[in-house]
Parts: sequence; C-alpha cells; structure tokens
Amino acid sequence: MAEPAVQFADVSASRGGRVVLQRVSLVVPQGQTMALVGRSGSGKTTLLRLVNRLLEPDGGEVLVDGQSTRTWDPIALRRRIGYVIQDAGLFPHLTVADNIAIVPRLLEWSADRVVARIDEMLTLVSLDPQVFRTRWPDELSGGQRQRAGLARALAAEPPLLLMDEPFGALDPITKAELHAEFQRVQRLLLAPQNETLPSGRGGGGRRSVILVTHDMAEACALADQIAVLHEGEVIACDTPARVMASNDHRVTSLFGELRLKPEATQQATPRGRE
Amino acid sequence: MTELLAFIASHRAEMATRLGEHVVLVAASTAIAAAIGIPLGVLAARRPSWSRPIVGLANLAQTIPSLALFGFLIPLPLVGGIGTRTALVALTVYAVLPILRSTITGLQGVPAAIVECAVAMGLTPAQVLRQVEWPLALPSIVSGLRVAVVIGVGTATIASAIGAGGLGDYIFRGLAMVDATVILAGALPAALLALAADAALAAAGQLADPRRRARRHVLVLAVVAALVAATLWAGRSSGGKADLVIGSKNFTEQVVLGELLAQVIERAGITVERRLNLGGTAIAHEALLSGGIDVYAEYTGTSLTAIFKEPPSADSEAVFATVRDRYAAVGVTVMPRLGFNNTFAILVRAGDARRLGMKTVSDLAGRLRLKPEATPQATPQATPQVTARATPQATPQATSAWRAGFGYEFLERPDGLKGLSAAYGLSFAKAPRVMDLNLIYRALAAGEIDVTAGDATSGLIEALGLTVLEDDRRYFPVYDAAPVARASVMRHYPAAAAAIRSLAGRVSAAEMRQMNFLVDGEKQDPASVVRAFLDRP
Repeated sequence: MAEPAVQFADVSASRGGRVVLQRVSLVVPQGQTMALVGRSGSGKTTLLRLVNRLLEPDGGEVLVDGQSTRTWDPIALRRRIGYVIQDAGLFPHLTVADNIAIVPRLLEWSADRVVARIDEMLTLVSLDPQVFRTRWPDELSGGQRQRAGLARALAAEPPLLLMDEPFGALDPITKAELHAEFQRVQRLLLAPQNETLPSGRGGGGRRSVILVTHDMAEACALADQIAVLHEGEVIACDTPARVMASNDHRVTSLFGELRLKPEATQQATPRGRE
Repeated sequence: MTELLAFIASHRAEMATRLGEHVVLVAASTAIAAAIGIPLGVLAARRPSWSRPIVGLANLAQTIPSLALFGFLIPLPLVGGIGTRTALVALTVYAVLPILRSTITGLQGVPAAIVECAVAMGLTPAQVLRQVEWPLALPSIVSGLRVAVVIGVGTATIASAIGAGGLGDYIFRGLAMVDATVILAGALPAALLALAADAALAAAGQLADPRRRARRHVLVLAVVAALVAATLWAGRSSGGKADLVIGSKNFTEQVVLGELLAQVIERAGITVERRLNLGGTAIAHEALLSGGIDVYAEYTGTSLTAIFKEPPSADSEAVFATVRDRYAAVGVTVMPRLGFNNTFAILVRAGDARRLGMKTVSDLAGRLRLKPEATPQATPQATPQVTARATPQATPQATSAWRAGFGYEFLERPDGLKGLSAAYGLSFAKAPRVMDLNLIYRALAAGEIDVTAGDATSGLIEALGLTVLEDDRRYFPVYDAAPVARASVMRHYPAAAAAIRSLAGRVSAAEMRQMNFLVDGEKQDPASVVRAFLDRP
C-alpha cells in the first residue's frame, strides 16, 4: 500500500486570530485528483496552502509522501509541488519561456534540457513554441496565460500539483476547453519515476492533484474525489456521484441548479467522456 | 549670451575642473545614498513596522535647510570640516530619502500573488528578492535615483559655500560680483548637467527593462559616460596638490583679498589652491582652524566681536593686540594689517541725501523721528539730473516710512544694528528687511529699501550712486584688514609668510574701493585686477 500523496491529520489552522480549519482529516491518494469545494471562507484555500507550507498548521500534521511538512525543507518541498493560481501568476518581467524555465533552472538542469523542456511543455499545453516562447505574459489571452501557467507548474515534473481556482477567471467556453486540456495533460504526462520517495512507490502513474474550486461542475468534471468544506470542517468526501447524491443540505446547497440539470451531471463525469 | 560664451571660453580649464568636481560630488553622494537607501528600503518593505521610523528619519533629514546642514556639519569630527567630505555627507543625507521611498514603493507595488507564486515555486527569500521583486521594483527605484540626482545637482551648488568646489563657485562668485554672466556660467551648466544625468538614468532604466532593450539607449549611455569620464579626466589633470590653500569669505572684497594673498605667495614660488567664496565669517574661521584653508584675510573688529565674542572697540591698536593674542592661543598667526579699515557704512541714495540735506547718521536719526514729509524718494536708479529736477516738488506722495534692509550678520552682531540704534537713537517704523549682503546695494539703488549698512570699501557705492553717511558719533569699531594664517603653515613656508608680510600697509581704503569697483562695476576678473595692482609702478 503506497503512502497517500497528501494526508491531513487532525489539522487546525487560524488566520489573523480567526479559526479557519478545525481538526480536518483528509487523504489524497497517489495519482488521484481531489477537488476542495465550499463557499468563500470555508477554508479550502487555507487547506491547500498548508500542503506547500505557505501556511503552517496550529495543530495536527500535514503529511506529504508520508512525511510531515514540518520536517520537509520548505524549499525542496515546494520545488516538487506544482502551483497554479487564478490568472496563472506568471511573472510579468519574464517571457513565457523564462517563466516555464524557472524551477528547472533552480534545480540546475542543463541549458539544453531546459530549452527542450520549454518546447515540450508548450507543445503539451497546445501553445506553438515558435509563437509563444518569446511572448510576454501580458500579450496572452486569459486562456493562453492559464495554459502557460500549467506548463510552468508541470515543467519540473512535480509528482504533486496544487491548483487554486485555476480556471476561475475564464469565460465558459475557454474554461471548457481548458478542462479538456487539463484532462488530456493528465493522461499524457505521467508522474515521474521517483526512487527517493520514502514509500518506494513506483512512478509512472498519474499525477496527484489538489484542486480548489467553488464551481461544482468543474469539480465533477475534473476530480476523482470531492471534499466539501463547510466552516472549516470537511462535511463530505467521496466520488462526485456520491457527493451529488448527498442529502446534507449544506452540500446540496452548493450544487444549486446543477442537480436540476441531469445532462450537466452526465457530462461532468470525467470517465463518461472517454 | 555672447558674454557668457566668452566667459566660458576664457575659463574653460577651470570650468572643466568645477564641472568635474560637481559630477564627482553628485555621483559619489548618490552612489553612497543608494548603498544606504536601497537596503534600508528593502528592510522597511519587509518589515512594515520598521518602515515608519526609517522613513520618518529620512524625512526629518530632508527638512533641514541645506546651508544650515552644512553649518551643523562643519564643527563635527570625522564627517565635518570643510571641503568635499562634508559636502558629500550633506548631499548623501538629501539623496537617501527619494531612493529609500522609491525602493519601498517599488517593492510594495509588486503584486502579492506574484510574490506568493514565487515562494510557492520554491524560490528562496533571496531568490524571490533578486529574481522577482527587484526587477519589478526597479523602474520605481530608478525614478527615485533620478529624483535624487536632480536634487543633488542643485544642492551641490551650495556645497561651494563650504569650499567643496563645483559649479556653485560661479554662482556664489557671480552673486558677490553682482554679475549675471558669472551666475549663469554656474547655473546653466548645472541645469544642463541635471538634465543630462536625468536622461542618462532614464536610459539606464530602459536598459534594465528587459522588454525594451533598444540599442539607442546604449548609445545615449555611452555618450554620457564618455562625457563624465572626460570631465573627470579634465578635473584630475588640472588639479595638482598645492602647498597652501587660500580662503576668502563670499563677497567681492574678500575674493579680491584672497586673490591678492594668492598672487603674492605665488610670486614667491609657492603653489596655492584658491578656496574663495566660502560662506561667512564662521565658516571661514572653522575652515582655518580645521586646516581646510591655511590663510584668509579677516578684519580685526570682526575677529574681536564675531569670533572671540568681545565687546567692540574703536581703538585700532588695542583691538589688534587683543585679537593677535586670542588667535595665538588657537594656533593662528595674525599677519600685519593691510592698511585699510573696512568698517560699516550707513548708506542712502545720493539723491535722498542731497534733497534732505543729510550728511551724517545723526541727520538720518533726526529724519527718522520726523513724520512722512521726510520720506525718501524711491526713484529706481535715479540719475542725478532727474533727482535734481524732482527735488523741488518732492511732495510726500510716498507715505511709507523709511524702509531699512540689512544683511544677516549686521542684524546679529553686537556691533551691528542693535548698538547703532542705541548710539544714535535710531528707530524704524517697520522692522528692517533681512537681505543678502550681495543684493543690498542694488535693492537700495532700486528703491526697494531706503537705508542700509554696507561695507565702507564697497565699489558699488560710487557705481550705483549711493552716499555714505558719516559715523559722526564714532560708533562703528575698527575693522582693519589683516591676513590670518595657520601658525604651523607659516613656519613651514617662511617664504609665504614673508610674501604676506610684504603687503603690510600697502592697500589703502581708496585702493580697495577702486579694486572693488573694477570687479563689481567694471566686471573685471578679480585675478587681473589684483595683477594690475601688484604690477603698478
């Protein structure tokens, strides 16, 4: 049995003196995509930031590959976790190519390998390297920026990817395109072989992903499991279908009109599309 | 304009030196300020709780008037004294704030999400600063540097007052000579220098922006760098180490006397450096004590009252003896007196004096006690003929009372206005205006004021149609001109001491006034006026 990619064990956290998470326990298995959903202020972003130690828990432990984040070197931890935020967070003073190359260069890859990787990643996210390599972030459309952001997050072959409302700022059509793109990337780009993992698990499987979103349709479309947060507590954690079937009004209220449109649910099941 | 070009052409070697000094002052102070301001700015941006005291301190420093700051610094050890070092300290103090501010603003302007992304990607704090925050804050920091440099070029002109050289030399010299051409010779290059430095930094800022690596900016930078290098080289090549440094205060007669001392010493085969146009008595004295200068011409009465805080006296020999002893105690030798007494003179327009029949200060005091019918005729620059014609029907159409204007020193000194008022029972209806000594004669001639106190040896008295009212109660103490020199330097250069002694009694009041007139009225170069004086048969 492989170690889970991420495990939250009885985690509490507060921000600015306000308790945001209360004794949360949650397991993200290797190779799975976990969506964290909930209303604004439910604690989902805080939970995400505990994983790469942008925040520290007040109590409990966050385990990445079986090891507490407290004992990880934060820099080494972060370099093996991809991070994508809304509007991508590309550095405005670097070209698309240089943005993608940041972590590989921090890891001191050879120049040839970095250049090859830039083109590989751009191709992967369907951006023509000839065109986009030298573009500046503010010359890209919202969807192109998000693709470049995904390419940057995946460039150094991280086994874990954190995404915070990555498609939040996009129009519905672009968003749908990117959903498909994300699923394709997940299929094509398998997580790397990594012998150094304490679990000794074999690589080559799917990448583990934690996705924060307030969009239930997005969660259903992309995630293997959905964790519903409500006022700092996980009130449900299951497959999209079972979460959809919940009778808890705190959960059902999140689905809103989605439940009234069965075709949306149908379409939102990832395996249903393949 | 042609006069200006002619002046620049005839002074080009000296001008290159001054320009070089100016560039060095500004470049060095800005560099030091950047070395202080940028790290402080980074610190303040990192810890907002430190930001307030740091910025507050820089703000406070910025509010100190520049001349006052120079004054504060002179007596301090290490950073103080006279010359380039003190000027650098003051200029650095002024340059820190804009750089500090712009650094903080630039860093705080980097979007939080961008910084968070950088941290989340595994950049170390140093890498976040160097690779992300610094490049994004750089445009703001460059704008701060530009502000600092432009302020610095302006403030560095004032550094001339404490003997740091630079283009301010011409501005102060021009003010002393009341010569707009000379002022412009300093002000115009300073303005151009400010523009050039601003453009150079703007180009540098563009270069630093990876988005617009336009080659023409490289060209602009290269041209500016070449100019800077050329002026530095010119400044260096003409500035050798002199044996003696001659100082002077900041008015025409002092510049002439400084030149006189310099030339007699040079004729004895000793090299000198001229630090003329230093601020007032206090700065010249401090400079002498600190070794910033070795010799300057002082007036015995000034030393007695302004430096040694003794009550004034009209006894020439007694004053000289007292001053000689007091100076000896601080390692300064008083050389033999030059021969003239530059006491204060109460001045009015010649037309007013004639019209109202005033010859003495007592006459003036009498007039002041009367009411409006004795008001002065405020005709700007009235020629004698016009004044004569206007005299008969001098109706008191101007109901304003006598307006007085005095220099800063005259208002403060014990032998100045206070004592004069007591001795003669003078009282003015309105508080006297405080004016720059250099502008006072013109203000009087132009009718902006009606009475003032000037130097008895001023060449402007005749040149501007002014009249000296006789000090009939012998109120003003003696101000015999005498060189004062560092005793150790005089021992080390006996030939220089002998040369200075050779001037004993050689300059009469009439000759001094004539030389002052040639410089102030005829716009002649002080050096050539002094040369002619020494060469006369």
